Order: sequence, then structure tokens, then C-alpha cells
Amino acid sequence: MQDTHISLAHGNGGRYMRELIDEIFARHLANPDLDVHADAVPIDINGGEVLFTTDGFTVQPLEFPGGNIGSLAVHGTTNDLAVAGAIPKYLSLNAFIEEGLEIALLERIIKSLAQTAAAIGVKVVAGDTKVLRRGEGGGLYLATTGVGIRSGHLPGMGNIKNGDAIIVSGPVGDHGIAVMLAREEFGLRGDIQSDAASVLNLTQAAMQHEGLRFMRDPTRGGLATVCSELHRATGMGVRLTQASLPVRDPVQSVCDMLGYDPMYLACEGRVVAVVKPSEAQHLLETWRSLEEGQDAAIIGHVDSNIQHVLLETEIGGERILEELEDDPLPRIC
Amino acid sequence: MTATAAQWLDRIHALPHSGRVKIMNVCGGHERSITMAGLRKALPAYIELVPGPGCPVCICPEEDVFEAIQLALNEDIILVAFGDMLRVPVNVKKTRARTLEQAKAQGADIRPIASPTEAVSIATANPDKPVVFFAAGFETTTAPVAAMMVEGVPDNLSVLLSARLTWPAVAMLLESGTPGFDALIAPGHVATVMGPEEWQFVVDKHNIPAAVAGFGTDSLLAAMYSTLRQLNEARYFLDNCYPQLVRPGGNKSAQAHLNKAMNVMDANWRGVGVIPSSGYLLDEAYSRHDARKLFPSYAEDARKRAGEMPPGCDCAQVVLGKIYPNECRLFGVACKPRNPIGPCMVSDEGACRIWWSGGMREPVAAKQRKAAVS
Repeated sequence: MQDTHISLAHGNGGRYMRELIDEIFARHLANPDLDVHADAVPIDINGGEVLFTTDGFTVQPLEFPGGNIGSLAVHGTTNDLAVAGAIPKYLSLNAFIEEGLEIALLERIIKSLAQTAAAIGVKVVAGDTKVLRRGEGGGLYLATTGVGIRSGHLPGMGNIKNGDAIIVSGPVGDHGIAVMLAREEFGLRGDIQSDAASVLNLTQAAMQHEGLRFMRDPTRGGLATVCSELHRATGMGVRLTQASLPVRDPVQSVCDMLGYDPMYLACEGRVVAVVKPSEAQHLLETWRSLEEGQDAAIIGHVDSNIQHVLLETEIGGERILEELEDDPLPRIC
Repeated sequence: MTATAAQWLDRIHALPHSGRVKIMNVCGGHERSITMAGLRKALPAYIELVPGPGCPVCICPEEDVFEAIQLALNEDIILVAFGDMLRVPVNVKKTRARTLEQAKAQGADIRPIASPTEAVSIATANPDKPVVFFAAGFETTTAPVAAMMVEGVPDNLSVLLSARLTWPAVAMLLESGTPGFDALIAPGHVATVMGPEEWQFVVDKHNIPAAVAGFGTDSLLAAMYSTLRQLNEARYFLDNCYPQLVRPGGNKSAQAHLNKAMNVMDANWRGVGVIPSSGYLLDEAYSRHDARKLFPSYAEDARKRAGEMPPGCDCAQVVLGKIYPNECRLFGVACKPRNPIGPCMVSDEGACRIWWSGGMREPVAAKQRKAAVS
């Protein structure tokens, strides 16, 4: 890591954040149960598979079309458990509240958080509150820690094979663009809703498929970042087909206008699955039969003949998708 | 022009050809669309697409950036500039502020903006403080600056103008005798403002086919097809492949604003040198709002020279289309978007930045080594 000071790029989910985690946090906190590359880790308690994860939330604005920081604090953490194959059970909640925040707003957010948790069947069982001086916080920051139980088996990235199919459960980029539009910084208006939602139904359905190798939710850094992680972990390339990638028209229009690439924009209610090729169609049909997975699509495959993430463009060209470096939209989660 | 991008591509593949054809674009937006769509891979191998002078941030003279930095540091002002300009480095010792961003970190009040109207609103919100708008750009961004001046701006707002015209750089390349391209894709948005006729000289004077294109791959491929066919048939004309927005004569009211608020002058391009009639100067009538007249000059005569690129940096060659971004020795090695050495790696419109973010990262030297091995 060359940098001497923290910049916003250290929080964007891409290369600089990875370097920061590897070189500061992982280096000092290393222990056999810590895996900084996993969404949630199993802790061995009397042989059972308990999964444990944590996440912080700093989204601006606090409320946006399709969600708020409270619902996001539940979805973010429970989705990390879900993609690791677990059923979320318990959450802890830390709230860092800035002096001056309107209590009615705080109540709206916490109420939404409670409703979201109830809908998923997860309980908040521990919590803490701190108030920061005015000017020291963005109104409200939340942090949640989640515990879940995994009954089935998920092979993980290490078992990904050449030719495995890559499936995404729905259109990408909705959350990133919805939050960006809600900031009203660009003089653009639109009715794009965040996709923020629980992915538990999707992941539990996928866990029934024997050929399932790996799942991840494409949050910060988007789909391209998940594929970069796959590439780095497996040593095999990833080939994606732009024409098969689900992107909503209004999201694509905003991207075209502002020069963003939907491949790098955050989702908060999607899953990317890597699955044995012969099982791909089956999993696709399973997901499409669920409300959350209606627009699921097979978007590419693992390809050991290439050494990068390659996008076959709609026009028949090719473009290498590199790991995200400069964040187009900071603080979206 | 109802054909789709795929149809234009098929038509290009069906064209007869006899040798290499180099097509230059002079717009960062074009280069971005080409790179992001992976067009170079989709086109027949005999066609080379070369990015030319299409990035206003890249050619903004070093002395102007230096002056903006010094103004912001030494005067009690708010300096506003388009976001891209904040990270463009100048050649000074590491102990001094090398970018507006560093000057900001040292305490200067510098604010990035996305449009000239923001400069007006910042000036209105801070009536007791002089606000200087460092306005670098081509015709498309200069026209709204001119409109802003004509319509009247707050008393405390002045402009440090560093505006350039696109066509004179292409004219200079063509007159050099070694233009380095066989056909030209002319910039659609510049043509929307100034009219496509500005580019007629490419055909009439230099016998080079040209076509105006928009940012979509359909329009770009249509323009490529047009120029390739013109070459095949040896029948050259200026085609308009962006008729949805580009109209004969361009935008008359924008041109009227430019004519009223600005005069055309010979101007320096970073690393390239002075190009005749290629820059805008604020008209005398707007002296009250000309930062160069309101504030002491921080220009250093020693800075005003053509060779203004940092050592080893080939941005000037990249801007002129003489080399591709990955042919620069620093590309991706010492020069990356997070620690750019040359301006082409800074701006979203710079060819180096576009190639880097589009995954075209392999330095040409490494490529040649690989070819030699295999």
C-alpha cells in the first residue's frame, strides 16, 4: 500500500480497500477463525456450523427510494450470512448518532429496521448507542453483527472449476443509481428504486442444488468486483456476455449520461452464483420461479484459457474489466 | 440513419480493403465509447482507431494550472474549477503544491464544480469573497461560460479562462505533412455548437475523408463506414452521422454568445506549443470579470515553453495521436490514475485514463516481448 493517508478510495470495495484490509486489519487481527475474504465465517461451537459476520453502514442520504440505512443494516448483514449458505438468526446493532439528528427520522429508520428484521425472521439481541458531536458524523451510522446457522454444504471458491456457469439473480446497478439520484447532486431525477432486499429465499433455494459452488452478493464494486475476486481466488479467468447481463433501461440511461459502468455499481438485493455447467439451467429456472429472481440470467462462465475478467461487448468487441480503482459513488451502503 | 451498430459493423466487414487505415477521433467521449464497447477488437484488423486531441484538460497549459494554484494559495479567494482539473500536476518541486487538490489540502479554498451555473451560485452565496472560475475547456464548455458572461454574473465572480478550439489542432496536424491518420471522425458535440462546416477544410484542403459522429456506437460505426467507403471510392466529402443533434450552421445563439464575450487568439497547448487561432480570450468589455486583470500575475516566464511535460511523460505525443497510450514508457508503470504523472491519465477524457479504465493496460513493450517469445 503506497498511500500515507486514508482516502475515500479505501472504502470502495475495490483494490485499495482490499489492500487496506489485507495490510492493516488482516495483518494485525489474524487468527484461525478470521477470513477477511469471506462474507461470513463458521465458528466451530461443539461441531455445529454457526456463521458470524459484521458490517457497517454510512449511506447518504439516510433514506432513499426503496430503503433506508435501517433496512440496509439488516439486509447487508443478513445477506452476507445468506450467501454463505446460512439462515440468519441474531443481530447486534451499534448506532453512532450525530448530535442534531431529528428523532422522528431516527425512529422511522429504527422502525424500518425492526420490520425488516421481523420479515427475515432475525432478532436483534444486543446493541449499543453512541452520540457523536455535531460535524463528526453523517447524521447516523449503523453497524450490525449477525449470527446464522448453516445446515447444508457450500463447497466455496476453492471448488470452482473451468467452465462453471455464472448466474446473477436480477438487474444490476439499481441500488447505486437510486442512492445517487436521491442525493440530487447531478440535477437528475428518476424513479429508480434500490434493489435492497433479503436474498435469503434465493440462497436457500440455491443451496438445494448439488452443483452450486459459490455465492456472493455484489455490493460495493458491483458484479465486476465479484468476478475479479473469483479470478484472483481461482487463478482462472471469467468471461461475461454483455448482451445477457440484466440492466434496467433507466439505470443504463443514467450510466450513459454520467459515464458510469453498471458492471461496477452496487446492488443490495442480488446474488451471483457459480454453478456446475450442467446445473446452470436448473438453478436459473429455480430462481426465475421466485419473485426476487424473475430477471435472473446466466451471464458468463469461468474460463481457464484467459487470465482476466473479459466482457464480450454487445457489438462483438471485448473489454477487460479491471478491479475497481476509483469509486464513482462513495457511501452507498 | 436507421441501421443498428451491428448492421454498420457488418457493412464495414464487407468493405473491400487494400491496406492499413488509420482513423482519428478528436473527442474524449468518442474514445471512451470506442474503448468501452471494445470496438477495436470487433473491427477488421486493417482498421486502426487512434485517439487525437480530444481532451481539454490534457492540453490545458501548465502555466495556467500553475497560475490557478498560486492564485488560490496567495489570494483571499474561492477558486472553482471543473473536477478533472483538480488533479492535473504541474512541474514544481515536491515541497510545493503540484495540483489544485494539494493546494486545497494546504488550506486554499478550492471547490470542484460540474457546470458554470455552480460558479454563479457559489459567487452568489459568498458575496463578500472574490470567486475565480478557472474555466478550461473546448467550445462545448466555453459556450456556456460565454452565455453566463453575456447574461451577467455577480460582481464578485471572475474567470481565469483557458479555453481552446478543437479544429485548429487538427489543422496543425494536417499542415505538418505527417498527420498520422487517413480519415477523421469529427466531434459531434463541438459540431452541435459550432456547426459541422468547421470541419469542411479537412476534406477540401487536405483530401481526407471526414464524418461527424455522436457518442453512440451506431453513430461512430456509421462514421467509420462512411470514411472507409469514401477512401475506397476516392470520393471525399464531410458526412454528418449525427443528424439528430448536428444541424447545418450549428447553434447560432451559442455562437453569438461566444462572439460577444470572447475573441480568438493564438494559444499554447500543453506539450504541443502555440497553435494559431486556437484559444479564446475574454473580450475587453468583460475586463471587470477577467481574473487575469483583477489579480497580480503569478505567471513565471520560465514556465512558458512548449516542453512542459514531466520527464519521461509522452502525453503530448498521445494527444497528437503520434503514439498510443500504452506506448508511453510511464503508462501503467509510474503513471496510474491514482498517481498520475501526465494529464492524459487524470481526466476522464484523457486517452491514457480511458485505456486504463477500459482494461487496455498492457504496455506495448511487454506485448512486443511476448510476441517475440511465442
